[in-house]
Amino acid sequence: MQLINQIGERIWLGSLGNALVVLSFVAALLSFIAYLFSSKDIAFKKLASLAFSVHAISVIGIIATLFFMLFNHYFEYQYAFQHSSKTMNMKFIFSCFWEGQEGSFLIWTFWNVLLGLILRYQLKSTEWQIPVMAIFALVQVFLASMILGVYIFDYKIGSNPFLLLREHSDYKNLPFLQIQNYLQKIDGRGLNPLLMNYWMTIHPPTLFLGFASTLVPFVFAIAGLWKKNYTKWQVLALPWTFFGVLILGVGVLMGGAWAYEALSFGGFWAWDPVENSSLVPWLVLVGAGHTMLINKNKGGSLFTTHLLSIASFLLVLYSTFLTRSGVLGSASVHAFTDLGMTGQLVLYVLTFIFISVFLLINDKLIKVSYAVVSILILFFSILYGYKKIILLLWMAANIVLTAYCYKKDFPKQKNEEELYSREFWMFLGSLVLVISALVITYFTSIPVLNKLFATQYAPPKVMFYNDWMLPFAIIIIALVAASQFLKYKKTNVKSFLKSILRPLFLAIAIGLCGAIPLYFIEISGQYSWYHKIGFTLLLIASIFAVFANAAYWAAILKGNMKKAGASVAHIGFALLIIGALISMSKKVTLSKNTAQRKVSGLGKDFDDNKSILLTLGDTLPMGPYLVSYRKKERIGIDVYFEVDYFSPDENGKPKYNFTLKPHVQDNPRMGKAPEPDTKHYLNRDIYTHVTYADLNIDTIANKSNAFGNAKNYVGHMGDTIFSSNALIIIDSLKSNLTRENYLKSDSLIEITALLRAKNVNGETFYARPKYVIQNSIAIPKEDSISALGLKFVFWKINPEEGSVEITMSEKLNNTRDFIVMEAHVFPFINILWIGCLVMAFGTGISILERIRILRMKHD
Amino acid sequence: MKKLQIIGIIIIAVAVGAIFVSLKNTSTYANFTEASENPDHEYHVVGKLDKSVEQIYNPTINPDEFTFSMTDNNAKTKRVVLHKSKPQDFDKSEQIVLIGKMKGDEFHANDILMKCPSKYSDNKIQTN
Repeated sequence: MQLINQIGERIWLGSLGNALVVLSFVAALLSFIAYLFSSKDIAFKKLASLAFSVHAISVIGIIATLFFMLFNHYFEYQYAFQHSSKTMNMKFIFSCFWEGQEGSFLIWTFWNVLLGLILRYQLKSTEWQIPVMAIFALVQVFLASMILGVYIFDYKIGSNPFLLLREHSDYKNLPFLQIQNYLQKIDGRGLNPLLMNYWMTIHPPTLFLGFASTLVPFVFAIAGLWKKNYTKWQVLALPWTFFGVLILGVGVLMGGAWAYEALSFGGFWAWDPVENSSLVPWLVLVGAGHTMLINKNKGGSLFTTHLLSIASFLLVLYSTFLTRSGVLGSASVHAFTDLGMTGQLVLYVLTFIFISVFLLINDKLIKVSYAVVSILILFFSILYGYKKIILLLWMAANIVLTAYCYKKDFPKQKNEEELYSREFWMFLGSLVLVISALVITYFTSIPVLNKLFATQYAPPKVMFYNDWMLPFAIIIIALVAASQFLKYKKTNVKSFLKSILRPLFLAIAIGLCGAIPLYFIEISGQYSWYHKIGFTLLLIASIFAVFANAAYWAAILKGNMKKAGASVAHIGFALLIIGALISMSKKVTLSKNTAQRKVSGLGKDFDDNKSILLTLGDTLPMGPYLVSYRKKERIGIDVYFEVDYFSPDENGKPKYNFTLKPHVQDNPRMGKAPEPDTKHYLNRDIYTHVTYADLNIDTIANKSNAFGNAKNYVGHMGDTIFSSNALIIIDSLKSNLTRENYLKSDSLIEITALLRAKNVNGETFYARPKYVIQNSIAIPKEDSISALGLKFVFWKINPEEGSVEITMSEKLNNTRDFIVMEAHVFPFINILWIGCLVMAFGTGISILERIRILRMKHD
Repeated sequence: MKKLQIIGIIIIAVAVGAIFVSLKNTSTYANFTEASENPDHEYHVVGKLDKSVEQIYNPTINPDEFTFSMTDNNAKTKRVVLHKSKPQDFDKSEQIVLIGKMKGDEFHANDILMKCPSKYSDNKIQTN
């Protein structure tokens, strides 16, 4: 590394940034230690609190410094160089900030700091402040270390955003950096154009706020284990947990909406590892929130609440490990680069597992030996290897210890829940949610399991996940429907049945009316009995959930809006499931191709009916429409393909309906990326994307009207010749050689080849090139099909082989520009989006209500 | 908690059982030789595009059929029929993962994953 400064480098910024990075780390560490001490001696509390404030200020300082660097184009820094450019629109400055891993860790740290400050204020006069803030500070120590970028014994801790370009391992050998005034000449590489949209501005901060909010129930649960006070924290954590449910849920769904709108996954949910690993903590957090409700209203389910609250945050850490360590490899569309932090990320996950189990153990001897053994085997594995086996053994030991401590020390309720009680079914619902989360985690982790067990399993496909989640969804949604009517502790069975009977029958009636034509009358045979029955049950259960929750709100809550949170959120969730079910199971592909060869013999996995070929100017039928590829246009790096849609009017004549412009981004960093265009109707979406196209604009104009080189074909009767726009069949040969003609010696022998051409629209054309022999001299007479731009010359007969030789030439502009496009209809996908909004709204109401109740208790 | 524990254990047992059953049908990574031995099973085959052999993509005949040759990690080359449109940037791919089955001497893929040169390939710096 050279130390000479080049002209114009603003080294001060990096120094400031690094000073703040170190300060934020040290302050968090100090705060953690001081909070630990203050649990024994209250005098340390002031120091701890001060250190946390310093940590918060320095995190904000780091963010400000990084923004300053991006804003002012300090391209001597790798982060600014790699993620921003002078020409870029400044409205994407936020996207630049969190495009890189360091920036996204920073935004995460920032949300944590913010939540930590609010929590510190909220708990200021309670016994919980010290333990909660101690754990909080410890998490911040780990997060702050993610951007440290220091080396300890050759091992890099964190990745620093204030690295100079000439210090960065990927860039330091670039020759231009040797020029003294290189800074005057360079521009940054800029934000990846694929990320230049509003989703990139709102999705990552929302998701990271969701990640951050899983920390709150986690720190409370750990503090509960630590203080052996398993109940009291739950009331305090409850609004936070549902805040996490709301924000993380919105963040996850935003990802789905982004994928649907701007990426060509062909849907809104692809069970991609990155999507899964943010869905799983959400599912677990929803479970945790519900067991907290049980505890608050009736007591019990203590262990489960602790387990789920801790698991949700650990799963966020695990998701960070999955998506940022490069372990997924080719299993994900999300391109994360490996920053060499795999070991660090694994260590973090393990550390927090260790802390949880350590605090769970009551017995002093077991506690100390657990800690000593854990640390010893950690060193052993670092020094001598056998990491995988040790890791597996250690994890198994943790499970055994957790089970043992639960059995031995954890307070358990004495009597069993009533069958007809809300807590019984609510607990079961949480259990099913968590098991579904475990199943998703298991399948998502297949690349990790392959590494651990040296297996070769491939990541499963979308349908596989859908099939797996179907029974879980049915059970959960049925519980969502019925549980509200049950009271805590004990319910009158008769009145319960009476109140759910009407919505249930209504749901069955409507569900069957919908499901029978949807899944049983259709003839395509796409779905097995498992799907048909599963889909029907899910549809009925979801409609039941909508009606039952609406009825509960109207009849039992008397339409009270303040108490409506749960009902509204559950209705939203049910609508979301209905929308997802119908739009996915009844997704219709409009773009069936005109393929001659069928591949159905290869099994149902193979489908040749996905894409349609549209030639410039031609109009083709596609589903209920006539479509015409009209124009190709390049704007910047995007190439737009304008496709007009016509529908028959009342007289059956095609009438212009709408235009869709799917485009392909000629992305300099990632290659060609197709982006869909969608026509939204109230009851359906028409979703199109271009899968294959020539992105060159000039090729259309340069083609002339002349014929290209002739190609020679040797063929027999019935043989087929392919041109770029038609199939030509050698139909028959006709000769004028009748008996009389034959007798005349100087006769003219004329043999006509009948060529039958069929274009892509199925229209038939004929060409009749002739082979003429006059006075023993062969003179071919050409013929052409002007509609197809084809010319044929029949120039030879091989009597021995019984074959003829024909040359064919095509007009150069015959190979007209074309695109290959996919078009799908997603019916009723709007129900899904409405469901998302309703669910978010309902969760919001219930958070406000929880906060109100909490305040009332305080006063 | 008795009833709940029993129900919980039953659900977990069913799920674990189903996972083990489904693992048998799950696709695994393999090479062409292994895929030929079991033509009814779906495999993921990793390899590289063989650029010396002609690629055929004739969308006027079938936009969902693309034929090319791939060399797997055991240096065995097979003809591949992809039942999809030709992926954009196909020729730039560094590594290919095919998902499909072996039929005779051809590998029929219903999906393809490509690894293209990553972001460090364009370390050319624009100087003005």
